[in-house]
Amino acid sequence: MSSPPIIELKNISKRFRTLQALDSVDFDLREGEVHALVGENGAGKSTLMRILAGIYTEYEGEYFLNGERMQLHSPKDALLRGIGMIHQELSVIPDLSVAENVFLGDQPTTPWGKIDWKKMNAVAYEELARLGFEIDVRRPLREYSLGIQQVVEVLRVILSGARVLIMDEPTSALSPAEVARLLELVGQLRRDNRSIIYISHFLEEVMQVADRITVLRDGKKVATVAREETEMGRLISLILGREANATLPPAVEVPDHDHVMLRVKDLTADVFSDVNLVVDVGEIVGLYGAIGAGHFDVARAIFGMYRVDSGSITVDGHTFPLNHSAQYAIRHGVAYATESRRKSLFMDEPNYKNISLPHLARIAPVVPDVNREVEIARRAMEMVNVQPPNPLNPVGKLSGGNQQKVAIARWLTFPPKIFVTSEPTRGMDVGAKSEVLGILRNMRNEGYGVLVVSSEPETVLSIADRVVVMSHGRIVARMENTNLDKETLMRMI
Amino acid sequence: MSANIENPNLTAAKSRERQQTSQERWKQRLSALAPLWTLLALALFFSLASDSFLRPVNLNNILAQISTLAILGTGVTFVLLTGEIDLSIAAVVTLTGVLSAHLYANLELPEPWPLLAGLGVATLLGLISGVATTKFRIPSFMSTLAMSLIASGLAIFISRGRIVFEISELSTFLGSGRIGGQDGIRVLVIVAALSLLAGFLVLRYTRFGRYVYMTGANKSAARLAGVNTDLIIIIVLGIGGFTAGLAGIVNMGRLGSAQPQQIQSFLIDAIGAVVLGGTSLTGGRGGIPQTVIGLLIYGTLRNGLDNIASIDSFLKEFITGLVLLVALIVNVVFSGKADRDRTSG
Repeated sequence: MSSPPIIELKNISKRFRTLQALDSVDFDLREGEVHALVGENGAGKSTLMRILAGIYTEYEGEYFLNGERMQLHSPKDALLRGIGMIHQELSVIPDLSVAENVFLGDQPTTPWGKIDWKKMNAVAYEELARLGFEIDVRRPLREYSLGIQQVVEVLRVILSGARVLIMDEPTSALSPAEVARLLELVGQLRRDNRSIIYISHFLEEVMQVADRITVLRDGKKVATVAREETEMGRLISLILGREANATLPPAVEVPDHDHVMLRVKDLTADVFSDVNLVVDVGEIVGLYGAIGAGHFDVARAIFGMYRVDSGSITVDGHTFPLNHSAQYAIRHGVAYATESRRKSLFMDEPNYKNISLPHLARIAPVVPDVNREVEIARRAMEMVNVQPPNPLNPVGKLSGGNQQKVAIARWLTFPPKIFVTSEPTRGMDVGAKSEVLGILRNMRNEGYGVLVVSSEPETVLSIADRVVVMSHGRIVARMENTNLDKETLMRMI
Repeated sequence: MSANIENPNLTAAKSRERQQTSQERWKQRLSALAPLWTLLALALFFSLASDSFLRPVNLNNILAQISTLAILGTGVTFVLLTGEIDLSIAAVVTLTGVLSAHLYANLELPEPWPLLAGLGVATLLGLISGVATTKFRIPSFMSTLAMSLIASGLAIFISRGRIVFEISELSTFLGSGRIGGQDGIRVLVIVAALSLLAGFLVLRYTRFGRYVYMTGANKSAARLAGVNTDLIIIIVLGIGGFTAGLAGIVNMGRLGSAQPQQIQSFLIDAIGAVVLGGTSLTGGRGGIPQTVIGLLIYGTLRNGLDNIASIDSFLKEFITGLVLLVALIVNVVFSGKADRDRTSG
């Protein structure tokens, strides 16, 4: 490990107006190593990564590539110098073939200037096979899983000459099996002597794949440690800046339940079938499955946003008509927060409009009274401790965790009977996570039924009283959440 | 961040931030007014370049000239705010005129039934476009384009291609009457003002208005909050049809005849004026005040060019287009909407 660094950053600082995003950070990357960047949301990971990738070109400090000081001007410039980035949101084109995506923008041509399909397909096939993926490269990319799409993007960046790969949360949308494959791919790339900067929330992955780990906190570098010299607990305390007590708070006593709040019976649609599910009063049920298992669509169906073919949904003794509207669900006590805040919140609109919208008909049948709306929003935001608690600010200016709190708060004005939430803690830092879980627990203790739908085993295990596991559209297991662990869950899907 | 709220540095930083945001807010306010600056610049230019531009008579003319457009623009504002578009308005204007003239002149229906029938059909066509758009997932660009053909086809069929000169007194009153004698205020202008006012009140102060904005701002979020976005879009296209019908009746009264030939410029002018005012084509941003400014810009430009004698009259359309494009660019640049993120748009 004494090879000279390919990339060396010295004393990097970057300000956004009043926010010191990075403060004299040093970073270096050696040939053939996987260097992980970890830290809470807002610690400066993304900023550092964007500087590395040439997206931010104005900063203080020095950037050395192969020992030479240089200034990147654009991401394209970075790629020309061999630094490529794999974004969290892939930039593949699903309708083009796998091979076309591999060579996007740079197709091999025959001497006549025509695209050399034969060569393109052959090279794409070979390269993918070498990485362990033998697939038909002439099929459109959309026919393949997200995991494969990501591999294709990685390959494209490599073939455009990148020696250094920056991977931003590459596994956040993958199923556990796909994660395992991606980690193998990273290992393969390292054996090919490529260097990888690996940014992730998932510390287990980081511990599996990284050679060295740099921890950022509040824009400062806390430490760079070698993987073999550290362990999870120490990493967490470095990230949090305090001694970590157990990763997440344990569940409290389950109150007695004798009353069914939500009963889903034989619910069947295209992606799931014969789903039976019961949530009692004062109970949190975790519905767990890999991405694509159909559990998110069950949640949507309960809220009336996914068309089902048969089955029934009963809330507090009242059976809904088949394919009821969302308005109907809301009026009969169903609340729903989706896995995508971007989809469910109006980022440019003030908090109060976001909070009052689901209940506007009840708050004001004809003419909304803004003062009353703001007051309602203020109370709702206080209930879940949104920071800063200003109902007039646009929700998009809040941090991810606080946005999620707004997405929950909007349902508290007229308390629902059953609260359905998909991925309530996705992409949040540890602090925000435990706050959101605390809110859900409070709802449970106040006698709502809560259904937490998730593909993150940690979320389900840390919050649910009972766990229901879905796999490929069917429920495969129902268990009390006692002595359950991640491995058990993962083996079931 | 929330963990170290007692940190004095952070508090200082926060108050700094507050100052900056108030500065920023001013900047935003100024740039949000970009269309207003465009209007003032044009008005200033024309009043310097022409002696006749600023005369009260001419200013009155401008109002009369943009009144039909204002009625159309009210509906177009609703439609654009939801992120949809209505390409059938010009044809519906024509159809409504021809239909009600036909009912009045040839079938001799008593007033006000010909007008109400015209308005009803116009609204119905809008609602049909809405159903096609939402329930059958045909983009409104296509469904209203088809509706445009249907409406103009009906107009030609009903009139057999002939101009109807006999029109009802009521529509003559609406289109070219005046209240308060020879120099009184034109009824046309009042109708336009009322339609803009009604649109303004509905959009600004009602629950329905809120739903319109929210549907355009983020359709999936609106749905997830229980808003029936399909219904909103159907109603909004119905409103677009209704205002097009109203414009058709007023326009017929103004011209004194019902002509089966479409006035294509209505479509471009109405959408152009609304967008010029600052209402976004993608929905969620804008409103009636913006539309008023857009209409005034349009009126000033069209009228101003007529008032400068030295301009080749065959060049006017070209100049109008050019000024439009420049004004739109200025709007985008000044309102800071030019995207930093180069991957989007």
